[in-house]
Amino acid sequence: MSTAVPPGIVIERIVVVGNGIAGQTACDSLRGAGFTGQLTVVGDEPVPAYSRPALSKALLTDGGSHELAAPAHGATERLGVAAVGLDVDARLVHLDDGTALTFDGLVIATGARPRPLGEALVLRTLDDALALRERLADRPSVAVVGAGPLGMEVASAAAQAGCEVTVVADTAPMRPQFGPYLSELFTTAATAAGVKLVHGTATGFAAGTITLDDGSRVTAELVVAAIGDIPNVEWLHGSGVLTDGRLVADSRGRVAPGIVAAGDVAHVPIRGMVRRIPLWNSAIEQARIAATAVLLGDATPEFDADPYFWTEQFGLHLKAIGHLPVDGEPTVLTGEGPRDAALLHWRHPDGAGVAVAINHRIPIPRLRRAAATGELPSTATAAR
Amino acid sequence: MKITLDRPRCEGHGLCEEAAPELMHLDDDGELVLDIVEVPEGSPQAAAASAAVRVCPVAALKLA
Repeated sequence: MSTAVPPGIVIERIVVVGNGIAGQTACDSLRGAGFTGQLTVVGDEPVPAYSRPALSKALLTDGGSHELAAPAHGATERLGVAAVGLDVDARLVHLDDGTALTFDGLVIATGARPRPLGEALVLRTLDDALALRERLADRPSVAVVGAGPLGMEVASAAAQAGCEVTVVADTAPMRPQFGPYLSELFTTAATAAGVKLVHGTATGFAAGTITLDDGSRVTAELVVAAIGDIPNVEWLHGSGVLTDGRLVADSRGRVAPGIVAAGDVAHVPIRGMVRRIPLWNSAIEQARIAATAVLLGDATPEFDADPYFWTEQFGLHLKAIGHLPVDGEPTVLTGEGPRDAALLHWRHPDGAGVAVAINHRIPIPRLRRAAATGELPSTATAAR
Repeated sequence: MKITLDRPRCEGHGLCEEAAPELMHLDDDGELVLDIVEVPEGSPQAAAASAAVRVCPVAALKLA
């Protein structure tokens, strides 16, 4: 299917479905690219957009802020309303309040939701985070199912709150996401903080007990599941924009004429694969490009930036530029070793570089240069 | 329009520097420095400032 806007079509009304950082960035970018027409943003939560990365970090422990700057794009906000259907030919988005929005251009940014595990708590929305924080304040025994970055951030917050914490997972902490070297670093820190690691696959959770695939059980007063996310594409079923049930965008975010996608919901081409990149900065970059592509089509630059990722847990602050996971030992660009502040570098077999700062404050542009060059970037930049 | 920094909130990611390198940078200690504070409304600088404000994951920047 061609994704070019047919000649002669004037984009006067743009609807953005999804009010997370991708949706908000799309609105900003449309205005920044000169779009002065009617702009509407639909969000299923009844609250303004907030910072999702903050929810599993400072917010759970010391009440760090999740608030974002107020929007300046002047979009009409339809909050507390969910999109339930898309009619591509009629250019209509159907909403769950029975109304519909007409569009010339559409940005799909409906994000993802947690994969559920019985009645276990999950962490995705602001409401989820506030509920979890309230429960942690009573210092219950906590079991976290899943040892990805989110699960381990929750485990860290629970340990910091004084809870007895068990993490149940079928891999070492963050090993699939980071690779063995960084996994071991974080595992050591988590273990030192008193976190108990149980190896196994959770097959169910009910009445305070997690059942594992080997038949063993883990019991805790509070169970949190962090076992991945599911993109919110159900409302697009039957619309013709899905490919094998996935929302697949091109390198400029386009999925159909005048229709683009960005953020956690979208599969995008990256390094020879087509996959989702559910990260804050990728959502922003995708939204910038996709929104511009609604207006400019092929004149839009392609999405190609290396992802930025960060996590804070067990006293370790990690910032990474490039494609994780990484294999093997890093080159240490600066620092005595990862136990203290360090800047580490890996190079993938295809030549792509990865730079990781541990407890080391470094601006992203400099971290990007370190990733690309494999050298400690000088503090004097060419731009200054 | 004026850019303001809530310094205690800043975590030093530097995504703002990437969005608006002509307006701000992180110094050698990773502390954000606003090189330009006043930007004319509707100017390219204001657009860059707005992008910098948007990208901050801890809302340490404001533009008003």
